[in-house]
Amino acid sequence: MSRNILDRLLLAGFIGLAVLLYLSTADYSGIAQKTSAKYVRFLAVSFGGLGAIQLLLSLRNRAADERLDLFGRAGRFFGLLAGLVAFALAFEPLGFFIPAAVFIPVIAVLLGYRNPVVIGLSTAGVLAAVWLIFVQLLSVNLPGPSF
Amino acid sequence: MDYIAIVLMPASLLAIAIGTVAGVVIGAMPGLTATMAVGLLVPFTYTMDPVLGLMLLGGIYAGAMYGGSIPAILLNTPGTPAAVATALEGYAMSREGRGRLALKVSVVASFMGGLISAVVLLMFAPLLAQQALAFGPAETFLLALMGLAGIVSIADEDTSLIKALLAGVLGMIIAVIGTDAMSGSLRYTFGSVELIDGIDFMPALIGLFSMIQMLEIAGQRHATTIDASALERSQKSEPMPKGIGRYMALGSGTGTVVGILPGEGATIAAFLSYNFAKRLAGAKARFGKGAPEGVAAAEAGNNGCVGGSLVPTLTLGIPGNSVAAALMGAFIIHGMIPGPDLFTIHADKTYPFIYSLFIANAVFLIVGISVAPYLARIALIPPAIMVPVISAFAVLGSYALNQSTFDVYLMIGFAFFGLILKKLGYSLEALILGLILGPIAEGGFSQGMIIGKGSPAIFFESNIAKVMWVIILGLLTPPLLAHLRRMLRK
Repeated sequence: MSRNILDRLLLAGFIGLAVLLYLSTADYSGIAQKTSAKYVRFLAVSFGGLGAIQLLLSLRNRAADERLDLFGRAGRFFGLLAGLVAFALAFEPLGFFIPAAVFIPVIAVLLGYRNPVVIGLSTAGVLAAVWLIFVQLLSVNLPGPSF
Repeated sequence: MDYIAIVLMPASLLAIAIGTVAGVVIGAMPGLTATMAVGLLVPFTYTMDPVLGLMLLGGIYAGAMYGGSIPAILLNTPGTPAAVATALEGYAMSREGRGRLALKVSVVASFMGGLISAVVLLMFAPLLAQQALAFGPAETFLLALMGLAGIVSIADEDTSLIKALLAGVLGMIIAVIGTDAMSGSLRYTFGSVELIDGIDFMPALIGLFSMIQMLEIAGQRHATTIDASALERSQKSEPMPKGIGRYMALGSGTGTVVGILPGEGATIAAFLSYNFAKRLAGAKARFGKGAPEGVAAAEAGNNGCVGGSLVPTLTLGIPGNSVAAALMGAFIIHGMIPGPDLFTIHADKTYPFIYSLFIANAVFLIVGISVAPYLARIALIPPAIMVPVISAFAVLGSYALNQSTFDVYLMIGFAFFGLILKKLGYSLEALILGLILGPIAEGGFSQGMIIGKGSPAIFFESNIAKVMWVIILGLLTPPLLAHLRRMLRK
């Protein structure tokens, strides 16, 4: 997708959000009508107004449109993103250590690193440091199986 | 004296030393910035004693500002954007075999910059905070607007003024989610229990400032290769060049002043100081070919920013730059709202924090003189190892504060959405500032409207309010005029 198209879509979304935000303030109850609702309307008008100005400027812009290089290597980018979501999903039932022990080497390999000794030592080092500093020293409560 | 005694306690010294060394290491790793480090570690300090936690973070800030210069000088790979100016002269010196001298000049200049800015912070912050005692709700609202106006003044070719303003207001809109403080009713929670308390700024901070960098590194089309040839070259041991002190003083002053100005960061401070030094030296210095004067001015400039940026942050709640914004988050999660209270009610925490910056500067001076050439090798750590390790800490940090996996999803969402915004030229600093300052602005606005019996005239009545409007306009007008000039030129 080109940079201008994505920007214009986003700005149109911002204007839509500003309109919805403004309309929603009608439902504010009691004292909020005289206080918070006015504040939110101020934000909605500012946001919508700025969005409209920027959209007009963008439509008037005659400069050559460029392709938006958002992800570079999409496989690695989305691989890391998927890994993070999987990490978060596993966090509650399995805690930090088991998902991290899988996540770190998998992402390292995904990003093109192939030295198993360095990967293994890095993973073990991070887990040991987290256990020592955060669990033992700072008493941070981590969910799931404790060690 | 009691405050100095707190700083000199063994636990405090250990926290400062760990923070500073960690900061130097993080600063020396290309791709990792002081903002990322402070943002990542703020949640972990939550369970610590507030004073120790803040000292740890202050040490990281000071250490990272210096650490960036080590790979800049020895590998031509600035660890942080603020060290780019240092690389211009420092690497040229390394190629001539004068890397050891460049490192020595760099660490002494950083020490001097950090020290002078910490003295300014100690002397002027309490004076400024006293003025803030006269602030009512209307002034508090204007203060939040002033903070946002300050940040949007960084708008340049990449982040246009309107886009920076849009990002700031978007942050304020996100901050509206949750329970309405006036009526107690829920707003925009869509039935989600996790949103009742609103969106915490910590997952956003980690997502926008830390995780986003990991996503960028992971998605990079071409891995950057680092030239390590100068690292091995024999390095002569030379005495400090004569007259270098005035370049350090120039950089320290420039860095401190630039740091105090809202929205101006260490990178600008370093380049400004470098350019001033170039003018001061004239034709006699070998600028561009390895001038120690350039290294001295640039390094004193970026470390001078540390204390300078904390002046408006601690006194008015206006972060001088993105690291100061992350530090402000740390103060807030420890229940210390920036403003006069920091120098009265919380003086037993604030002053030790300020004094700890002096120790942090001494720590990196020792580290820099003794082990800097070895630390440069940190820059050679492959990104493929660094990315998953930092990402794991980002997940842990997002979870740790509220012990909520929802915050981890928020962090990932902010990182992904933030990357799109960044690529389209929106200011992420303004977004996070909107998120932090939004609730303060809303509280001030709502209370002001009640006191003013529904009339917005209250925001223009007091003399302080009038002065604040002038400052807000002063902050917004120059970038607006520059924007209009650019448009007319097109």
